Amino acid sequence: MKILVPLKRVADPDNANKVKPTADKVDTSGLEWKINPFDEYALESALRLTEDGKAPKKRLGEVIVVTVGPKETETTLRSALATGADRAIRVDAEDDALDGRMVAKALQSIVEAEKPDIVLMGKQAVDGDTNQVGQILAERLDYPMATFAATIQEEDGGVLVSREVDGGVCWLRLKNPCVVTVDLRIVAPESVYSLKTDKSFKHNDGVRFAALPAIMKAKKKPLDVKTLGDVAAGTELTAKYSKFEPPPQRAAGVKVADVAELVQKLATEAKVI
Amino acid sequence: MCWVVAHANINRYKADLRETRFVLFEQFRAGELLGKPPFENWGVDEVNMVLDEVYRYATEVSGPLNGISDEGCRIVDGTVTTPPGFKEAWKKLYESGFKSLSIEPEFGGQGALATVTAMVTEMTSGSCTAFDMYPGLTIGAAELIASFGGPGQAERYCPKMHDGTWSGTMCITEPHAGSDVGDSKTTAKQNDDGTYSIKGTKIFISGGDHDLTENIVHMVLARIEGAPIGTKGLSLFIVPKRRIDEEGNSGDSNDVTTLGIEHKMGINGSATAQLSFGENDGCIGELCGTEPHRGMRQMFQMMNFARIGVGIQGLAIASAAYLSAVEYAKERKQGASVTNWKDPAAPRVPIIQHPNVRRMLLDMKARVEGIRALIVKGAWHRDHAVAIGDSDEKLRQYHEGQLELMTPLIKAYSSDQAFSICETAIQVHGGVGYTADFPVEQYCRDSKIFSIYEGTNGIQALDLVGRKLGQAGGANMQAFLGDVQKFIDETKDHADLGPAVAKLAAAHAAVASTAMTFLTWFQEGKMDRVPLAANRFLDMMSEFTVGWLLLDGAKISIEKQKSVDKKDADWAFYEGKKHAACFFASHVLPNVPSSASVIADANSSALEIPEAAFTTV
Repeated sequence: MKILVPLKRVADPDNANKVKPTADKVDTSGLEWKINPFDEYALESALRLTEDGKAPKKRLGEVIVVTVGPKETETTLRSALATGADRAIRVDAEDDALDGRMVAKALQSIVEAEKPDIVLMGKQAVDGDTNQVGQILAERLDYPMATFAATIQEEDGGVLVSREVDGGVCWLRLKNPCVVTVDLRIVAPESVYSLKTDKSFKHNDGVRFAALPAIMKAKKKPLDVKTLGDVAAGTELTAKYSKFEPPPQRAAGVKVADVAELVQKLATEAKVI
Repeated sequence: MCWVVAHANINRYKADLRETRFVLFEQFRAGELLGKPPFENWGVDEVNMVLDEVYRYATEVSGPLNGISDEGCRIVDGTVTTPPGFKEAWKKLYESGFKSLSIEPEFGGQGALATVTAMVTEMTSGSCTAFDMYPGLTIGAAELIASFGGPGQAERYCPKMHDGTWSGTMCITEPHAGSDVGDSKTTAKQNDDGTYSIKGTKIFISGGDHDLTENIVHMVLARIEGAPIGTKGLSLFIVPKRRIDEEGNSGDSNDVTTLGIEHKMGINGSATAQLSFGENDGCIGELCGTEPHRGMRQMFQMMNFARIGVGIQGLAIASAAYLSAVEYAKERKQGASVTNWKDPAAPRVPIIQHPNVRRMLLDMKARVEGIRALIVKGAWHRDHAVAIGDSDEKLRQYHEGQLELMTPLIKAYSSDQAFSICETAIQVHGGVGYTADFPVEQYCRDSKIFSIYEGTNGIQALDLVGRKLGQAGGANMQAFLGDVQKFIDETKDHADLGPAVAKLAAAHAAVASTAMTFLTWFQEGKMDRVPLAANRFLDMMSEFTVGWLLLDGAKISIEKQKSVDKKDADWAFYEGKKHAACFFASHVLPNVPSSASVIADANSSALEIPEAAFTTV
């Protein structure tokens, strides 16, 4: 089993107060970065799918992490390698040179070269929240796709995915190769099973710790660098950011004398009734 | 019997990793050692990844245990049970491998920098002091065997102690032998096969019995029959709870009985056991190493690391208490701003806006960051000594000497300050701080033991004055005073820090002259004066050292701040470092000359007062 996990680094939401919009850009200087949480869940799922659930765990496949971004994003890849991924690929690009379609095109080239059984990724990144790269990628590759996966079970030559939908659970049976995007329920103890993992086995809840020996070995794992030209030649940006602005400051409230004044203000000032 | 679940398993631990990274990379420049032998496997990325992952462990695994750990261990039919969740946490901790950070690579460890290990231990300990004692003591016991073990002993014991299969303890104290270890009565009688039969009772054994591991390896000080009295006749023995066969499997009981566990003021999740060895003449131990009567010397190497470990425990809990107090003070609204106190309709403000609360918070900040800098400075000396190795013996000896000199300061000052900082944290909380709804009262109780175990702070003060001041013919102390003098000379005209540095210079003179006073007393044989003044001297030397290191950090911060946008979080961070240092210089450093005059005054009332005059009842 070979799984490709695309990762995006995002500004740590805890540092949101540092974000300074200036015209068509967000000033990213001084920000702390972390892996997009949904991508972390995808990596955890990929590791679970390539293990046997025994102690000590046996690796049953290969997990390749890939990101598109500047040199600093290698820190993100190294921490994924420390968590257990086997090797990494970085496509060198400035953040400004990217949109969802460009990233999907770059990933398409890498998938065609690496031929993984599954592309496993977060349903969306928590910065832009566009929720489109997985879908565009599946379409370009003409692969079967399941989005918002809550559970994944490996089957012979494919996967069985459950998705939580309004009023119930939707089950999809996919043939490999396929694209699966994951939701946060995927890191629950009984959500992911490889063919070799006993169904009675319960994973630790959440995303695993990068173990110390693995952190120390991460530097020695392979990390290939490609250019955007290598993997997305001839692709133009189709989305252009025109303006960023901070949410409006909340104005102070007022005390109203009675219901009549409240209704009047809702109608004339707030214009909500 | 069941635990009263007053504490939900929620995490209340926080650490300020920005401060951690400042201390490691900016003030103590770990970058200079990273990537070079013997730290060639370590880079900035590795250190940062370790800090991030351990912080996750501290807040997700260990932190949620702290409240429940306070409910304590229980003992039924001589078997100790740890609080709920400890077993699972133990498993996760050893799966993560974090405890192998400082262990030598030959035993599967990562040989990390002592500065990094100190900052990691701050998080593992601060998130749940009681739980972290089990793995902490296990490392200590294993390192004793690794350092002094005879042929095959390290191979036999260390791997299973490092991977969490077995744990370890130090068995020193006995009912009649506390601070005076030389009075130990536990005996060892050699058997025909070279092993020893151990017989005796040990008390206050942290982690002495528990349900986390299949076996416990006790390191026991005992006297071989016919050995001299006092500490010189003590030998160190490896005594497992269960016998271990040739293949390393744990088998039958080794006649180590748990007589009881203490009911304590704090660290209740750490089982403090009374152990009886050889009640039925069936307790077999091996001598650690090959030479008898070296137990005290061997244990002392251990104690030196353990004392720094206690300093870190103090820092860890003090930092957690401080961060809790800041969080509470920002949220809790009470009273109006002092600037419009006469207006009853003035808006209520968070208590962090009240000057007295701000004073308490800044006082805690300065002391927490001060003891952190003190500990990391000590660890920095160790890292440099290790990195220098045999290439420059004189320089290595300088670094080793500085660590020796600072060890009693690290142990005693950090532990005393921890209790005091926790007390201030309760004060900031007001009435709710006195209840179990907030973590600070537990922090306060947990922290009190730090000034007592691993050598009371009274012992530390005597170690400083009696051994360390005159060590290497006084060269260590001279070099230390020289280091601070160099900083004073370079910084006395600093635009922002000049007045604070003047206070440091006054403290320098006070410490130097008091050190001379002690030498005079020693020369004149006025030995009874020394213990009366030793604790005060330890405090003044610690305050002096902390003042220096805070100002050093402030100087670096002011320089860095120049290239930071005022709106960035980093700007405020550096501003905080500056204010903490200046506050400490103004509010604490003047204690140093004042203490010097108290010591010079040599009041001897405490010696002269008849015992009958203490009280009439």
